[in-house]
Amino acid sequence: MFASTFRVTKFALQDFFRNFWLSLVTLTILVLALVTVNLLVIFNVVAKTAINTIEDKVDISIYFKSEISEDQVMNVQKYIQGLAQVKSVDYISKEQALENFKNKHQDNPKIIQSVEEIEKNPLGASLIIKAKNSSDYPAVLDILQTPQYNNLIESKDFDDHKTVIEKINGITQKVGRSVIIIALVFALISILIIFNAIRMAIYTHREEIFAMKLIGATDWFVEGPFLLQGVIFGIMSMVITLLILYPLLGFIRPYLQLILEGDFNIVKYFNQNFLLIFGLELLGAILLNLISSYIAVKRYVKV
Amino acid sequence: MIQFKKISKIFYPKTVAVKDINLSIRPKEFVSIVGQSGAGKSTLIKLLTSQLKPNSGQIIVGGWDITDIKAKEIPLLRRQIGVVYQDFKLLPSKNIYENVAFALEVCGVPNKRINSVVPQVLKIVGLKEKAGHYPDQISGGEIQRAAIARALVHRPKILLADEPTGNLDSLNTKDIIDLLLKINEFGTTIMLVTHNKDVVNRIKKRVVLMDHGEIISDQEEGKYIL
Ligand SMILES: Nc1ncnc2c1ncn2[C@@H]1O[C@H](COP(=O)(O)OP(=O)(O)OP(=O)(O)O)[C@@H](O)[C@H]1O
Ligand SMILES: [Mg+2]
Repeated sequence: MFASTFRVTKFALQDFFRNFWLSLVTLTILVLALVTVNLLVIFNVVAKTAINTIEDKVDISIYFKSEISEDQVMNVQKYIQGLAQVKSVDYISKEQALENFKNKHQDNPKIIQSVEEIEKNPLGASLIIKAKNSSDYPAVLDILQTPQYNNLIESKDFDDHKTVIEKINGITQKVGRSVIIIALVFALISILIIFNAIRMAIYTHREEIFAMKLIGATDWFVEGPFLLQGVIFGIMSMVITLLILYPLLGFIRPYLQLILEGDFNIVKYFNQNFLLIFGLELLGAILLNLISSYIAVKRYVKV
Repeated sequence: MIQFKKISKIFYPKTVAVKDINLSIRPKEFVSIVGQSGAGKSTLIKLLTSQLKPNSGQIIVGGWDITDIKAKEIPLLRRQIGVVYQDFKLLPSKNIYENVAFALEVCGVPNKRINSVVPQVLKIVGLKEKAGHYPDQISGGEIQRAAIARALVHRPKILLADEPTGNLDSLNTKDIIDLLLKINEFGTTIMLVTHNKDVVNRIKKRVVLMDHGEIISDQEEGKYIL
């Protein structure tokens, strides 16, 4: 058994190099498939990040009437904070509001003057509410609509966001759906191409397989080198894909950072999810190779 | 050594390749199977290697009833039989030495023994100098001798040769036949399928004539008659 495993390995490697060009073609197809899968991953991450960035800018501001006390506002904040849909609630006090107002109109002495003339702070406190999902805002607004709260509120600033939110929700769903469809279609195409490439490679060996079987080789002895080659192809294609992918990521990183604002780093993303992304890809590549090789060899092994 | 008992092989839907064949071959015998194209000669060989299963009858090889042989046991059967075909390809990606050694590697023979046996066999078939050549670098006669070396290297008790001289000139044919006779003298049972009249007449051993799937004559020291 040990000797035969060693021989199977020897034949697998020998065959790989003696049929170098065919090996190269199979390998190239595998690498192309893997690179494209990773392009899909990049596309997906970028789309999601872009949507998150926009979504993050959406919020509801509620401005309280100026006579409402801080305690009352705090109570409302506490309550809203407790809602399942709400991510964060920021409190801006009357004083802070005035400060902000002054800062905003620094260059307009008339306004500053008129504000200072009124002794009492004319502005009310406000809360800035961020929901976990853009689709949660309507529910939050509904709650604020109840008289219990509505009576305390001077004005709400959300209407102008409503259309944006609806658009984003639409885009999120569409992008999500199209990524899944593209990924599925692509997976199907690559499976077909790889399956055929391997079948071709094994087809050229059919006389050899026949000869082996007539000499008295067991099925395992004939299949072994092909299966092992499938694993080798899987590992090699993954390594080559990494060698192509990382320079590519480094190249597009500054551009993505520009488009997406903030500190989005695609290289870091791949590093952080290295095992998950490439582990799954490697597993997929090896399984696909093994299954294709197995099905292809089985056809000729039955002599 | 080999026994066919009332063997019939019918190809779907109704080609009767071999019909009620009774044939018994003793150990160390040299039997030539002759007959027109389509007479069922190759079918007989393929039944022995279990490439084909008979529809009825019984086949016994070396005391082993292989009629209903299990798929798992077929490799064992084939390791006890050497086969040479007219177009039985050597592995093109292996050189002559590796091709011959391969038959032993398949059987799980240790490397040490392979390294000592293969050169001996290559010497017997006269290919010692061509050991490192690949199949597309040697002549048809040499390929056929290499194929015989491969069929012999694991010392099978039976050698089946289906038109091994089919595409060789008369000089190479003579070489191959002499080689087969020599192997037979060493004690290997040989079943030779051939179309070649001169070959049969020269061998002067048992000749079985087939026609339309049946044996119509079986002579010791036979001549080729049609
Ligand atoms: N796989 C097959 N399927 C259907 N019919 C077959 C098959 N193999 C052989 N036959 C038929 O069986 C008959 C016997 O074939 P076989 O190959 O044994 O002839 P043969 O005596 O070896 O002929 P040749 O001298 O031309 O090699 C022929 O009629 C052939 O057409
Ligand atoms: Mg024939």
